[in-house]
Amino acid sequence: MLKPLEPSGVPFVALSGASKFYGSFAALKGADLALMPGQVHMLLGENGAGKSTLVSLLIGANRLDEGNRYLHGQPCPDLSPDMARAAGLNAVLQDFSLAPSLTVAENFALGREQTRFGLLSKAKMVKSALDTMQKLGITLDPDARVDTLTRAEQQLLEIARALGGKPGALILDEPTAMLSHNESERLFDAVVRLRAAGWAILYISHRMEEIRQLGDVVTILRDGRLTGHYRLADVSNDRMIAEMVGRPMESFYPKIPHRPAEDALEVVALASGSKLRDGNLTLRFGEIVGLGGLVGCGKAELARAVFGLEPITNGVVLLDGNVIKVSSPAAMLARGLIYLPQDRRGEALALNRSIGDNIVIEALAKREYARAGWLRGGRLQQLVRNLIDKLKISPADPFKPVQELSGGNQQKVVLARALSLPRRIYIFDEPTAGVDVATRLDFYLQLQDLCSGGAAILLITSDLQELIHLSHRIIVMHDGRCIATLDGPDMTEERVVSHAFSGRHEGALQ
Amino acid sequence: MSLSRSKAGGKPSLVSSFINRLLRFGALPIVLLFCIVIFELANPHFLSRTNLINVLQQSVFLMLISFGQMLVLISGGFDLSVGAVVALTSILSSTAMVMVSGWQPDQPFLAILAGFATALLTGLCAGLVNALGVSVLRVNAFIVTLATTSIFQGLTLVISQGMEVTDLPIQFVYGIGSDFVLGIPVSALFAVPALLIVYVLLHRMRFGRYVYAIGSNTKSALVAGVPINRYLMFCYAICSVITAFSGLLLTARVSSGEPLLGSEFPLDSIAAAVIGGCSLRGGEGGAIGVLLGVIFITVLANGMDLMQIGSNFQMIVLGIVLVGAVVLDRFRAGQNRK
Repeated sequence: MLKPLEPSGVPFVALSGASKFYGSFAALKGADLALMPGQVHMLLGENGAGKSTLVSLLIGANRLDEGNRYLHGQPCPDLSPDMARAAGLNAVLQDFSLAPSLTVAENFALGREQTRFGLLSKAKMVKSALDTMQKLGITLDPDARVDTLTRAEQQLLEIARALGGKPGALILDEPTAMLSHNESERLFDAVVRLRAAGWAILYISHRMEEIRQLGDVVTILRDGRLTGHYRLADVSNDRMIAEMVGRPMESFYPKIPHRPAEDALEVVALASGSKLRDGNLTLRFGEIVGLGGLVGCGKAELARAVFGLEPITNGVVLLDGNVIKVSSPAAMLARGLIYLPQDRRGEALALNRSIGDNIVIEALAKREYARAGWLRGGRLQQLVRNLIDKLKISPADPFKPVQELSGGNQQKVVLARALSLPRRIYIFDEPTAGVDVATRLDFYLQLQDLCSGGAAILLITSDLQELIHLSHRIIVMHDGRCIATLDGPDMTEERVVSHAFSGRHEGALQ
Repeated sequence: MSLSRSKAGGKPSLVSSFINRLLRFGALPIVLLFCIVIFELANPHFLSRTNLINVLQQSVFLMLISFGQMLVLISGGFDLSVGAVVALTSILSSTAMVMVSGWQPDQPFLAILAGFATALLTGLCAGLVNALGVSVLRVNAFIVTLATTSIFQGLTLVISQGMEVTDLPIQFVYGIGSDFVLGIPVSALFAVPALLIVYVLLHRMRFGRYVYAIGSNTKSALVAGVPINRYLMFCYAICSVITAFSGLLLTARVSSGEPLLGSEFPLDSIAAAVIGGCSLRGGEGGAIGVLLGVIFITVLANGMDLMQIGSNFQMIVLGIVLVGAVVLDRFRAGQNRK
């Protein structure tokens, strides 16, 4: 069906006509893919389009129901992940496979421990971990336990671990979802170097800039089928998005009218823990304020302190001009302020409970939905139905446990909980991390709705495009302090980045 | 493809949702049926009216305690102290009844009332101590209730001096312990309202939704504004109160206050709840499943009695069944993660 773009050379690993069925559901149908040495192959598709299935077939984590797998041109129907690793096929998947109670070096060497006279050689393992991390430009303490690392650092360690394997091929599944700008840049450098060294690389991403910057060829998946395979030089962004989503997209970011009213939330000299030193911002009703900065700059901590999830050590929070003395999540929710955490599996969802249970948990506090403690089943059901329809949650089965949903749909459930009651102030913390393009667009339209309905919205995001295009004002944080406010024509990528780096990398940016 | 997607997004059919409901209890109904057939074949008295009443009578105490244990398990905790609470209740309420009937020998109902009041108060205090450790002090439930088990046991032995409390009111021992109304044991009739209350709390009221939310993910419950400490308090308090109530009924059954009563309940109640579908990680399980779990354990014991299998051997069987249930629980969780 598809003409190979590089007729010369043998692919490192390839699939032809690959299909995977779950019951009658085809997660992947008749897919062809070939990873060529010295090439960065981008894989593009919405959540649920079959990208993860395709990767699992490539590395042998799943059996092929139809089609063939080739390793170095040889048919290889019975591949296991261990054999794949031994053959040089290294994968960094979205679910972390690190052992939390082991150290960085121990995790790095996991499965390929180096020994000396039959005993583990710690020195050797530490050295090889340090060497590989240095190539990636990361500095992690090799003796630190993995559960003391941030999510971004864990992601970097995963990547380092994959790079430390036998050279050959590398599969990266949304590696930058957790990373800050400069960490991402270092990863890009590493990818470019690997390509030059002849590695075959498969790179899954939602971000157009990354795809443009790194990719040689791109394969697009929709609904389990391959819809296109192009040299990146030959294809436009609009074309790629249209193929991925199945419909053309006029403008990606909606225009959101800016009609600021009185102050909703004011934060003055807020300090909390070691990461937030001096948080200052004013948020008015009818506007979206973006909060940007590097990972670890304290932007999440600012929101968490406001919402009462972190203790406030100094400073003041004002709602509607009134000083909030004691803030707890329950008290803030009662005042109409909601915070949606970035770690949706860890903090925002009861994973083994149903979609319905997760959506209504807050509504239960209202007499409208539970009178004197008794559930009002009909109204609750109606509420759940409406929100599932409105946000297009799939599957539209209120009794489905949320752990069985895709990441994008889990995020929609979190959003549905936020929309289950009327609120005045919303704080979104990385709402689109790991979410596919169509879901993002839906989310932007909800933002538009809320904002024009007069809500005050604080949007915390590491996605620069999103920050610039959705915000009416941007506040940039650096090292726990709010250091700049940008609005109007000042809201450019360059300005945000230069403030975000200021103090440390000012010179390097010029 | 578009076909299968629309199918996945549509309403599930009635038949498949019924099958799903059955599967939630896993293999339990089938295994239970299998046991009943085996026991009936081994001893035709097994399904006789007398024996079924006997099973009902035997299951009442464990049923009450398992319902309490279920609440605590769903909230993500454990209560190992249920056995010690039974013994403490037995001694304290017997002592109270003996005292009151010594003071007012002609008013046996006053004495029984005192027994009930003492039992409920004992349960409430014990539950609050457990809850304090788990919610306010944030100590692991396993450790807290292991410690309080020791405390309650010590207290029981200090108060009773290790002796039984005898001479309970006749009306208590015969009326509640072994009488029948409409052919049903009185203690079973006493238990029904308590079980119904737990059922309604868990499945018809906000309380249940909050407890499931806390057990499934405490952090997300906090972020959603659920008052976590208050509901953990309720869970442990209700568990201990219903356990104390069971302890009082059991005291009537054995006709004296005994300091070593109920040591099998921590294991049996957790086993029944887990066999009935509660997860040791919290947030899963329900009243109907636990009901089946208790019936299973009681039927197993009763059937083995009828087959004249000794109680020592029965302990071994129960242990194996429990391990099987936990493995099944892990398997279920693995399936869900997939």
